[in-house]
Amino acid sequence: MFREVLRTQWKWSVWAVIVATIAGFALPVLTVQDAGLIDPDAVDVVNMMARVEIIGTFYPILALGAGVAMALLIWAPDHRGNHVYALSLPLPRWHYTLLRLAAGAVLLVPVVVMLWVGALVATAASTIPVGLHAYPTAIAIRFAFALLLGYAFFFALASGTIRTTAIVVGIVPVAIIVLSQLITLVGGPNVLDLAFRVADLPGPFRLLFEPWLLINV
Amino acid sequence: MSNAIETRTLAYRASNAFAIRDLNLNVPSGSIYGFLGPNGSGKSTTIRLLLGLLRPDRGNIAVLGHGIPGDSPRMLAKTGYVPERPHVYPSLRIDETLRFHAAFYPTWDWAWADSLMASFGLDRGARVGRLSKGEVGKLMMLMALAQRPQLLVLDEPTDGLDPLVRRQVLTALMEYVAERQATVFISSHLVHELERFCTWVGILDDGLLVAEMPMESFKGGIKRLRVKRAPETIGDLPFVLLSREADAGLSSAEQWVVRGWQQPMQQYFAGVGSELAEVMDLDLEEGFVELLRTARTRRERE
Repeated sequence: MFREVLRTQWKWSVWAVIVATIAGFALPVLTVQDAGLIDPDAVDVVNMMARVEIIGTFYPILALGAGVAMALLIWAPDHRGNHVYALSLPLPRWHYTLLRLAAGAVLLVPVVVMLWVGALVATAASTIPVGLHAYPTAIAIRFAFALLLGYAFFFALASGTIRTTAIVVGIVPVAIIVLSQLITLVGGPNVLDLAFRVADLPGPFRLLFEPWLLINV
Repeated sequence: MSNAIETRTLAYRASNAFAIRDLNLNVPSGSIYGFLGPNGSGKSTTIRLLLGLLRPDRGNIAVLGHGIPGDSPRMLAKTGYVPERPHVYPSLRIDETLRFHAAFYPTWDWAWADSLMASFGLDRGARVGRLSKGEVGKLMMLMALAQRPQLLVLDEPTDGLDPLVRRQVLTALMEYVAERQATVFISSHLVHELERFCTWVGILDDGLLVAEMPMESFKGGIKRLRVKRAPETIGDLPFVLLSREADAGLSSAEQWVVRGWQQPMQQYFAGVGSELAEVMDLDLEEGFVELLRTARTRRERE
């Protein structure tokens, strides 16, 4: 049963997986492309760290993008048929949802693995200046968590009907705007400040907003 | 005889304008039950309720002894379903579709699926989204039959198919029913199609079950009578009067459509000073139309 679900999902998401896997391998390589491969003295540390920071912003974007793409591609065929086929299969709804969730997670594994391999290759092939260290495994683990977070969140959103998803997606910004207006009325911070404060709150999404540095002190 | 499908006071409001109301269905095991009704009468909604795809607002549903929707997965494992509109994934090829489907049914019969595929002339490498309407109809029936179900629920399975494909699909269905004594619940608005092979008939109109009876009683018991000097007021009748109207050809006569007619009942007319001039058989479609007309008139009066 799982094998067949995996097979269909592979067919629906093959291009997204390939693109994300290539991007996953490329990101760490791009991070260190200016690092001195032969002469450690040739490394411009300031420029290199600036590049590490800039490229670092693309890790959470890739994680969220791949998660969203996988979640949407998984459910799109069922949405097109109003879920009639899925609902008429002889298994409980939670079981079917779990099969789809697990198959999608399995298909995202190559993205994480290739990012890790890319990070290992890139850091091994470059010269890291004294005082700095490479964290290929740490960044791959963090990427895996971010990917799983984005995937699970959007999988849950996309699993409902389009109407339900639209309601949920619509309620969040409306609630934020209403709340921020109320706070502003009583002399609190403005909307932008509030958004930054929400992003800064402890919780799983904090993972996405912290700096992603393949090379650090 | 036990019932394969049974509903009691089933109610479901689909919208402000339409609802299934107090539906009491009894589909005997081993029967071929024709579920008739005009477009929009609630046939597909009822089927979705029976399969647990929708949750009823009120009432009980039992299918193959399983309470629905609570126990629908176990019921669905024994039920072949052909929906009104094809529900399989259009991006898959036929062989991929069958492999996916078969994985969920332990009773799936590959040998028979292959034999049906050959007799239907389906190409296993063809993409489902590119199949013609007839080919999709055949694929749907193949998927429902090859899982060797005890119950087949078919929602307008031949709607839009050409006569040749319709015959192929129905022949495969009848062969399976003859071999396995499976119960078939088939909805349609094509009355003539059901007349040939259904053993029971249920008629739905605007969410209400208008009639439910063995096909033989339905076909044999509905008659059009030409009555001369018809009484103005009607007392106790030995049959059910569905409609009465002036005879177009004979000014002093009326035409009555009745249900439950038997030959000895003609004595009733002599007793009320009338004369029964002619008894005409109605085919299923005429009987269906008269039943609907009577039900609607009664509802309007109420």
